[in-house]
Order: sequence, then structure tokens, then C-alpha cells
Amino acid sequence: MTKPTLVGDDASLSRTPWLLSLPVAMGYIPLGMVFGFLFVQAGGPWWLAIASSVVVYAGAAQFMMVPMLAAGLPLATIALATAVINLRHVFYGLSLLDRLPKPWSAKAYMVFGLTDETYSVLTTLPAHTSTQHMLAITALNQAWWVAGSAVGALIGARAQVQLVGLDFALGALFAVLAVEQWRSSSNSHALWTAMVSYALALWLVPHQALLVAIALSVAVGLWLQRVPKPSQTRAQSPTDKDIL
Amino acid sequence: MNNWGYVISAIAIMGLVTFGLRAAPFLAAKWLQQHTLVLRLGRFLPLAIMVLLTVHTLAGNAQSHANGPWPELAAGCTVVVAQLWRKHALLSIVLGVFVYVAFRNQWVPLA
Repeated sequence: MTKPTLVGDDASLSRTPWLLSLPVAMGYIPLGMVFGFLFVQAGGPWWLAIASSVVVYAGAAQFMMVPMLAAGLPLATIALATAVINLRHVFYGLSLLDRLPKPWSAKAYMVFGLTDETYSVLTTLPAHTSTQHMLAITALNQAWWVAGSAVGALIGARAQVQLVGLDFALGALFAVLAVEQWRSSSNSHALWTAMVSYALALWLVPHQALLVAIALSVAVGLWLQRVPKPSQTRAQSPTDKDIL
Repeated sequence: MNNWGYVISAIAIMGLVTFGLRAAPFLAAKWLQQHTLVLRLGRFLPLAIMVLLTVHTLAGNAQSHANGPWPELAAGCTVVVAQLWRKHALLSIVLGVFVYVAFRNQWVPLA
């Protein structure tokens, strides 16, 4: 979400991981707090809110899990919803295939920590950034998220709040991610496809609107992308272009 | 949420699914690089899915109370306009949540 502008900046070499992860901290600490707060207010124990941020570490999916767990939905439904929400992460790795460190433990942790924000920071680093720096940024970012969740959970465990509507944070987070995706895409086909698909799905199968709409969008996406149109497809990053 | 075993299982499953998705391109690098359709779909899908999740979440919020879709529309537009204008994710989310909370708690009366 927060996109530091470090592209082609030689000065960024001298910047410490602390400075690079600072913009992420500004978003992760308060958002983590809202997650921890909502989790505990929904009846979960504080330590499981923290465990979620350590083990799952995916903002939007964690926000989504709160009402699903409170409703006691089946684990398979929760797994499917997680897959749908985090599907975009499949495409993040594509622009980092050759950039992650070689040692498997460092690589595994960085893949685990590849959130929207960490991805946006890592892809703006110069090509010769050291493994230690990349690893430190990834770990610091998660530390902010876990710390925020812990503080929010502890506040939530004591507070008696009668405020409704804080759960709008999830919809707001999705809207922000949608705006940023829209900003980085060359046209609005996907936007309109999604809108029309959802309207159709809501009309035809109101109880499975999201899944049906995703299936429709994938079908339209495959159809639209079947012929290469150089004028319409724009690489998102130099690395992305190299792959093609 | 009182059944810790259930919550712990859900956390473990969500962690595995998320890690699996993030790891997938590294495991299937060769295959993915040979299929340009996959890469092109990779540009198309994230925006479509984010729009769908936004609309679906706001529609769900709108169905959870009696005042119709007005608080959702007002707060949703606030987030989109703020994000387009200032590119500051936290600011957009805080503004949107504030507008939504204000409507839902009747600080602003709905006509």
C-alpha cells in the first residue's frame, strides 16, 4: 500500500533497513492494532491474535478471519476464502524470482513474509542490495505487524466499546489495494469485468456471489488476454518485462 | 471463538494456504515462465479480484444493518477519493472508518 519512491536512488544504498521499513510501520502498527482489537472483541484470546500475526501474516485475510471464526464457519470455507483473498500473492513472486537470497532458510522466510507492503519495498531496492538488508526489512515489517496486533489485543481485552463499524477497516483496506492495482494497470478492463461479473453473480446466485464472480472474471480475463496485444499490456516492473 | 482447537486449526490452515500461494511461483518458475498466458492473467486478475473483494465486503456490510447501503457508499467513496488523491493508505483507511463509524453510530443522522 505504502510505496516508497526509491527507484534508481543511489542514496537508498546507504539507508538502513530501519528507514526503509518506517513507512510500513506507519501502516502496520495501527492496522495491526485494529486487527488485534477486533479479534479480542469478537471473543478470541489475546495470545491467539498475536499467533495469527506470527503464523498467517496476511492483513486482509486476518481481518476476514474474525467474523468467519466468530460465526464458526467450516475450516474448508476459511481455507478457500484465504486462497481467494491471497491469490494475488502468486503473482508477487514472479517479479522476485531471481532476487531472493540463496540460503534456503533466508529464502523461505522472505517468501513467507511477502506481503503487499514488503513486496512493494523489496521491488524498489537496487539489484545489488545485500541479503542481510532484504532479510532485515522483511523481518522488521512483520515485527511492526505483530507488535501492533499485540497492543490492539491487549487494549481490546480491557475495553468495553460500544462503537459499531470499526470492521469497515477490511473493506477500506480492499478499496485501497484496488485503487493501487488500478493505478498500476494500463487499462480498466479488469475493473469493469469485476463490476459486471459481480452484478451478474449477485443476480444469478446470490449466496455464492463472490465465487461465481471470480470464476466469471477469470473466464473473461482468459478471453481478453488470449491474443498478445503489445499496446495494451504494459510490464509492471523491469523484472517483470525480463521474464517475458 | 471459545473453541481454541478450532481457532488454532484455522490459523494453521490459513498460514499454510498463504505460504503456499507466496511460494508457488518460486516452485513453478520454469513452468510459469513458459506460459505467457499465465503472466498476462497475472496482470489482469489482481485488479479484478481486489475490486470483487471490495464490492463483496461492502455489500456484506450493507446487509448487516437497516440503514441500507448509504454508510457503505459514503465511506467507500471517501476511501477511494482519498487514496487517489493522497496515495496514503493509512490516511484513506482511517478517514473511511471514521466516516463509516460516524454514520453507523448515528453521529450523523441518516435522512
